[in-house]
Amino acid sequence: MEERSRIVLLALAVRLVLAPFFMHAGDVGTIYESSIMALNGQNMYNFVYARTLQMQNAAGIPVFFEGYAYHPLLVYLFVPFYWLFTLIAGTSPVMIDGHYPSLPALIYPWTPVLLLILKLPIILADLVVVYLLAGIDLRKAKIYAFCPYVIFISVIWGMFDAFVAVFLLASYLTSSRSNALSGFFYGLSLLKLYTIVLLPLYLVRLFGRWRALLEFLGGFALTLLPVAYFLVASPTSIWNVLVTFQGTRLMGGVNMYNFIWVVQDLVFDLVVSWIPNVILLVALVVVVPKFGRRAPLLESILAVMFLYFLFGKVINEQFLVSILPLILLSKECDHRLWIAPFVFIFLRSPAYYFALPILWTSPFFYSFYLQADVLWRQLQAAGYLQIPMYAVGVAFSLAVFWNLMRILRSTQAAVAPDSADSRSIS
Amino acid sequence: MTSGERGLKLKGSLTVFFAIYIIALSFIPILHDTFLTQARWAGYGTGAYQYQNQHYFILFNDPYDGSSKPHIHVNPDFAPASRVSLLEFSDWTSWVDDHNLFNEFNVTIRTNPQSLDVTYARPQIVLHKFVEASPDSVKVSFRCDREFKAHLEIWRWVMTSINGMTVKDVPKPLSIAPTTLIEFTFSDDRLQSLGQGSIVLSALPAEMKIWPHEKGFNKITIDFVNSEMSFTVSGSMSSVGIPSLIWSYAMLPSVLPLVAISVVLLYLLVDKYGRTLKNRAAGPSS
Repeated sequence: MEERSRIVLLALAVRLVLAPFFMHAGDVGTIYESSIMALNGQNMYNFVYARTLQMQNAAGIPVFFEGYAYHPLLVYLFVPFYWLFTLIAGTSPVMIDGHYPSLPALIYPWTPVLLLILKLPIILADLVVVYLLAGIDLRKAKIYAFCPYVIFISVIWGMFDAFVAVFLLASYLTSSRSNALSGFFYGLSLLKLYTIVLLPLYLVRLFGRWRALLEFLGGFALTLLPVAYFLVASPTSIWNVLVTFQGTRLMGGVNMYNFIWVVQDLVFDLVVSWIPNVILLVALVVVVPKFGRRAPLLESILAVMFLYFLFGKVINEQFLVSILPLILLSKECDHRLWIAPFVFIFLRSPAYYFALPILWTSPFFYSFYLQADVLWRQLQAAGYLQIPMYAVGVAFSLAVFWNLMRILRSTQAAVAPDSADSRSIS
Repeated sequence: MTSGERGLKLKGSLTVFFAIYIIALSFIPILHDTFLTQARWAGYGTGAYQYQNQHYFILFNDPYDGSSKPHIHVNPDFAPASRVSLLEFSDWTSWVDDHNLFNEFNVTIRTNPQSLDVTYARPQIVLHKFVEASPDSVKVSFRCDREFKAHLEIWRWVMTSINGMTVKDVPKPLSIAPTTLIEFTFSDDRLQSLGQGSIVLSALPAEMKIWPHEKGFNKITIDFVNSEMSFTVSGSMSSVGIPSLIWSYAMLPSVLPLVAISVVLLYLLVDKYGRTLKNRAAGPSS
């Protein structure tokens, strides 16, 4: 068997073994309930918006229900798999509630089956990335295939940034051959919205090449059709969920901004959360025109995404998966960046939380969960976890900054007239 | 100046900017706590509220949790950053007109400069719970436009005495003569200190009961029928020993700048040291 196929199959095997037994209840629960709604023709944005209004009415502050806040296409990647699950297990609920702060009720033996089937599209996305990378460099494919961080996010957490990774990689790889395809894949990478920061880069690069720009925009526009549909069908809901929530949410995550979690004053926190927005805008305005047109696309994409990782106000643990394939392809970047978000996962969420499908199988395990949770909450309440979380956040920001500097320096060297001199100093 | 020199200078400037940016941001929590948090209600999380003045820290939990409604803490004069639990009102274990306050009412929370206004609504009744803090006390009031029957439970783990009685005197739950003044004592091992607190009721209740639990009393239950009732809670602590260095969540804002400075310094050292190694490897030509 050729090495490329062997790596893909091994990557598949590792993921299939883990997938049925772990999950992030909140995120997998969101995909599960959204798939049910989509299959039944219901509008998930209306559901999320209604819950948000309910929460805001109860709390009297601008809190948001954290449910399905993604591109509408996303749910349709899961719906066929959920439908497949209903053919096996029927339509009775298998995972009941699970949105923070509730814990889900899980129904056996169907929960592991549901988890395996719902994670199949994520696993497929991972495998396509591995396959594409293996066609370029086997060593890099192996790194992605067996990176503990990628495996954790995709099959233990059950988060789908692998979709963003595969579509962003495809957009980059097809850019030299077909602008329409590149635009189409870029549009698909917006399943998690944060790659929107790359749009100015693509536009600036194609500016003046009108035919190429039109092709790109044509491919991109295709992916926006579902958004257009929901904007017509339920404008207030989708606007509130995608724009108001995503645009005005509280800063934090694996970055230097998570200190804000210590400041328990939401109105103040939301005001402060505008600081990174402003800095990000300024950074994009400076970097995109200066480097975007002349620098190689790979480095340009990474530079813009690194700027987002530095100044974007919300950087969740899983976001780095989206650009890890591109990081691996770049000679300037250090792929070990994943270590910080990987460590952060276990500071923000207790490890046992991901094992609920195992712990919920027996009252004995459940009591273990309760005991461990008391200890965890004591650590949280005392503030012991916030300190390492902040330290890791700052360290990750600095590591991203270091990689960005390397990219900018190499890019500058490549475009500057006296580039040889520049390289010798760097 | 060559482009290489320009690049190096740019990198240096960006590094300085970024280091200052990180460190400056890390001071936001302490600036907030110093200038903005005193004596006002601040909402956060999924709808919880907190209030801090010189003597009291009050937590009112979000609508999805029936505990701490509110939970009143005292800040001892000798350890102002410490928050010692004084009393907790619980909606989990309180009933109005035989309906549980947490499970059987729709709750909405609003604030005004003076108080937290929590509205409990059911088809037959709308009840307000107000929480007002002053430098000396915290007042929790229940108001309704008609008379209502209430069973409230007020918790502390644990009170060493209530109105002069200890668990030695009261081994089983005991109904005490209704009164408008409840005085209790407690101790805090971490701070090596003794505390005293009081609850002043605005009217005589129908029934009062104190509940022993191992080393002290852990709750006081109060039943009343009225259209309004307020509980004015106050407390203080005095040190009897030398407390060891106590860590408290309230100290986090002071620690974050230290963390930021340490991590940034480490980065700068590694960056500089790494370059020195590279320069050494490159030899004198660099």
